[in-house]
Amino acid sequence: MSWVGKSLRRKEDERLVRGQGLFADDELGAGMLHLYILRSPYAHARILSIDTAAAEALPGVVCVLTGKDVLEHCDPYMQLGPEPCDKIRDLPLAVDKVIFQGEPVAAVAATSPGIAMDAGQLIDVDYEMLDAVVDAEEALTDKIILHEAAGTNRTWHGVYEYGDVEKAFRDAVHVVRIPRMHFHRYASTPLEGNACVAEWTRQGTVDFLCNNSFPGFAQQLLAPGLRLKSDQVRIRTYDIGGSFGNKIWNYVYMALAALASKKAGGRRVKWAELRTENLLGSGHGNERTFLDTEVALDKHGVITAIRSRHIDDCGAYTRYEPLGCVIWSQVLPATFKLRNMRIDFTQTVTNKCPAVPNRGYSRMQHLWFMERIIDICAHELRIPADEIRLRNYITEFPYETPNGCVYDSGNYPAMLAKAKQLVDWDKWKKMQVAARADGRLIGIGIGTTLDSGTNNFGQAQIMNPHLPFSGNAEVCTMRLDFDGALVVSLGTGPSGQGHETATSQVVADELGIDPSMVQVRSGFDTGWNTYVGHSGTYASQFAVTGLSAVHGACQKLKAEMRKLAAFLLEAAEDQLEFGTGAQGPEVRVRGTDKAIGYWQLSNVINNNNAMLDERMADVTLNIRHVYRPPFRVPDTKRKFGNLTLTYAAQLHIAVIEVSRETSRAQILAYAAVDDCGTVINPQIVAGQVHGATSHGIGAALMETFDYDETGNLLTSTFSDYCPITSLNIPDIAYGSIQTPSPFSYSGAKGMGEGGGAPLHSISAAVQDALYEAGVIVTGSHHSPPAIFAALQKPNRAQAVSVEKR
Amino acid sequence: MYPAPFRYHRAASIEAAIRQLSELGEGARALAGGQSLLVWLKMRFGEVSDLVDIGRIPGLDAITQDAAGVRIGALATHARIARSPLAKLLPIVGDCANGIADNQVRSRGTIGGSLASGDPSCDWPVLLTTLDANLHTQGPGGARDLPVDGFVEDLYVTKLKPGELITGISFAMPVKGSAGAYVGFKRCAPAYPTISVGVQLSLKGEQCEDVRIALGSAGLTTIHARAAEAELKGKTLTPATLARAADAAVAASDPVDDQRGPIAFKQSIIKVLVRRGIETAKRRCHGETVEVSHEYY
Ligand SMILES: Cc1cc2nc3c(=O)[nH]c(=O)nc-3n(C[C@H](O)[C@H](O)[C@H](O)COP(=O)(O)OP(=O)(O)OC[C@H]3O[C@@H](n4cnc5c(N)ncnc54)[C@H](O)[C@@H]3O)c2cc1C
Repeated sequence: MSWVGKSLRRKEDERLVRGQGLFADDELGAGMLHLYILRSPYAHARILSIDTAAAEALPGVVCVLTGKDVLEHCDPYMQLGPEPCDKIRDLPLAVDKVIFQGEPVAAVAATSPGIAMDAGQLIDVDYEMLDAVVDAEEALTDKIILHEAAGTNRTWHGVYEYGDVEKAFRDAVHVVRIPRMHFHRYASTPLEGNACVAEWTRQGTVDFLCNNSFPGFAQQLLAPGLRLKSDQVRIRTYDIGGSFGNKIWNYVYMALAALASKKAGGRRVKWAELRTENLLGSGHGNERTFLDTEVALDKHGVITAIRSRHIDDCGAYTRYEPLGCVIWSQVLPATFKLRNMRIDFTQTVTNKCPAVPNRGYSRMQHLWFMERIIDICAHELRIPADEIRLRNYITEFPYETPNGCVYDSGNYPAMLAKAKQLVDWDKWKKMQVAARADGRLIGIGIGTTLDSGTNNFGQAQIMNPHLPFSGNAEVCTMRLDFDGALVVSLGTGPSGQGHETATSQVVADELGIDPSMVQVRSGFDTGWNTYVGHSGTYASQFAVTGLSAVHGACQKLKAEMRKLAAFLLEAAEDQLEFGTGAQGPEVRVRGTDKAIGYWQLSNVINNNNAMLDERMADVTLNIRHVYRPPFRVPDTKRKFGNLTLTYAAQLHIAVIEVSRETSRAQILAYAAVDDCGTVINPQIVAGQVHGATSHGIGAALMETFDYDETGNLLTSTFSDYCPITSLNIPDIAYGSIQTPSPFSYSGAKGMGEGGGAPLHSISAAVQDALYEAGVIVTGSHHSPPAIFAALQKPNRAQAVSVEKR
Repeated sequence: MYPAPFRYHRAASIEAAIRQLSELGEGARALAGGQSLLVWLKMRFGEVSDLVDIGRIPGLDAITQDAAGVRIGALATHARIARSPLAKLLPIVGDCANGIADNQVRSRGTIGGSLASGDPSCDWPVLLTTLDANLHTQGPGGARDLPVDGFVEDLYVTKLKPGELITGISFAMPVKGSAGAYVGFKRCAPAYPTISVGVQLSLKGEQCEDVRIALGSAGLTTIHARAAEAELKGKTLTPATLARAADAAVAASDPVDDQRGPIAFKQSIIKVLVRRGIETAKRRCHGETVEVSHEYY
């Protein structure tokens, strides 16, 4: 009997669907204050003065914070990037200048959210408007500079070169040139905005109940930011309403709630973002422009080399950046076997909301770029879209990429075959021909993508050699409790991924018990001491880091249980077996009825220990296990090394019809095939696939953060931004294959992000529909206005050229 | 966002509401479903000191119809109208009511509020212009009847005088052989339409005897596309006449370039919807049951 591999009902759902979850904003208490953050209406302006007198005089207002308080009580947050990022001063409130619309300039703590907001309207800020720069290429001219101390907007530059690119181009039969492509700006917009309750305690510590999704990292940034010792900052999370990476950065403004609590004499202060605040001022995904792309191919349409220049736009601050400037290289060749690549990578700041990790973070942009390349080459060289992929796919695993990453396992041709079958490829191919004859525009697009999981933080050193980060780790603590239940704590702090359930399945199997006997604590607490700096839920890693820690803890606990049981039953350890007897779970002497129950083992250690001797001295039945994946520090000069442990893959096929009337791309059929190795809980995996697919479809067809040239965000409400909802999600034909990872104990791979597959498949489908109309798809957003513009001005002559040698 | 503080009053009758609004003066507003007003308050548009809730005044939400015509009380919600027998009898009414926002908004928002808000994206003014409806008001100066066409004078500006309330709307029952359609193109349920079009058509054989066409979200107010109507009246409906009507509708429109799309794009949608509206109305004139819904993108 094995629980792993079964769709065990999610333990979390009982409380969540009954409205009994505990989100940070649910926390109430006598005397609690509410924080309102006043935000800049301008994208770029100097703050000449701030007058808070009227706000402070409003009854119910307890304190007001401005840049002055922040300078007095905070140190700027640590910057990850090298020169000139170290000159960027990131504080929880703007001090003398605002650099994006929505940047916090003041904060009010009051006895109700309404009073705090009223007071916010009474704060008088005198701004001097400055010209804004919202375009990445223009920003790189440094005519308008955001961070004056840095002296430039360029936050990072590096060249990634592997193989012999020049030779590959000399030997090429076809050279395809694509001068410009662009990946647009959007975010995953979690249902729950950023929130925390902070208390500056009498002991001088700060206690946060929050929804940060990378608390191991947040603590290391918040403590020095607040001029405290790490352990003086306690971080707890409970239920989190989605993060998708977006909640990694929210420590920046959590500090405001802490400062307000300090100024208010230790009263608890709640900060809970409203939707427009979230859209305007929390975090967006990275926008990226791909310039001067050249692709070398042989006579079979096999890509032999790519060179290109990439410009990443990270918005106003480098919060988690410039890490994204390296993270994409986890999937440098995508799913293709080319060996020669040269990517010149630059990042810039602009007067827009800061970029933060967002489902598919940085790899998705690059994978979209690679998928556009192969797709455009297919059309230009008249090779069928499926055929050209089969000719280019990596087929042997483990596979070392040109930059030293090791793809653990996979079978892309099998996924393609399965997706074709699910979507009914042959039928649509015929329908497409018939429809074309009627003047209808039907397109079929393939998107193959990777979800690289379990980061080697050593890659941060490629970005900045001085960073003291490498490897990865996660922690599990496990205690055999009085009643024989297994009490498990994790450092992962999930945000909806069902960690309590998957953990219960693993523990149940290892200890031969029912999952109901496993009590996994909800959320995260630094007070449990179940964390390391890497602890959190991000970068598709729980199934590997989290569950390996759980699995390791189980082995250690079983070893102790076996040792103790052998002592108590006067048997040899190798005579013992774990099982369930009449009284419940027990350790017994094989072939006899001599047994001792789990609860009895716990009782001996916890209540009844006089019969033990020194041989049992280190048996505590309270285990702490740290899992560390096998990584080395990459070669930072060559930008070479294994950057991630596992590579889940997704292959999607979209069939769309573009209306000639309304320019709308409508999905007619959609298939999604997933491979995340050994599946722990099929229902949870299917949920993640549907969620990631929906997010990607929303991004491709609906969602975009549009700024005007003054840096004013045009889509700052849900009515304008239009996140995808169930009404717009098509039926998804879902399938999976399993190629177990040789690098994780169970064969599982992390899989939460989904690699942005719908962006690739929908761009390809739109391309297929519009190619004959002379359109080359060079953007990732396919709203009706975008398609209308493309059909009005077919761009093929400028967007692509093919040189045949 | 949270609204600034305001005082709340509940009116027991229309007369009481008019009196309260007049007494409270400039800062007072009538509150019906709150689906526009509360949003404005949360965004802190304008200074509102008092809300007079008219939502519970009895008898103002009736929907009646007889041979002479249709009357809808100002407090009838979008949802109530969508479920009414009228929506089945006149599918154009159902098209409109069902296409407004989502369930939550439809259950609270009222036809009177939709007119009074003066919002160019609201659907009822467009539909009621198409049906050549009148609206009925009561105010400190007595009762008035006004045509809906022209009632909204400018962006968020209507002909209502201070303290004056809409009590209902009415329109003549379309003649036999006449049918209409109301179509919209919108991003998703909780978004206002990018463009919407109402068409009410009377046919004699294949010939257009009479037609009314109105455009929503295509300018600062509802646009009554008379030039488009002129292209059709007395003519046989052919692809060419339809195309001319669509072009005339575009010429009459004045859409803005915003996050829902640039002007040229919106013009292309006006063309499509005018054609779609006429074609659907025509099929309904011929007695066909045609389900149309807004197109969501
Ligand atoms: C998310 C969202 C999406 C929406 N999408 C659409 C859409 O797609 N199409 C659409 O048409 N509408 C849409 N709406 C608006 C909705 O239809 C509103 O219900 C309508 O605009 C106003 O009606 P109300 O009863 O809510 O009026 P309220 O919000 O209560 O009032 C609006 C204004 O009218 C005044 N008023 C109200 N009733 C009267 C009266 N009887 N006499 C005089 N003045 C009065 C008020 O004083 C106020 O100034 C949407 C609203 C939301 C929140």
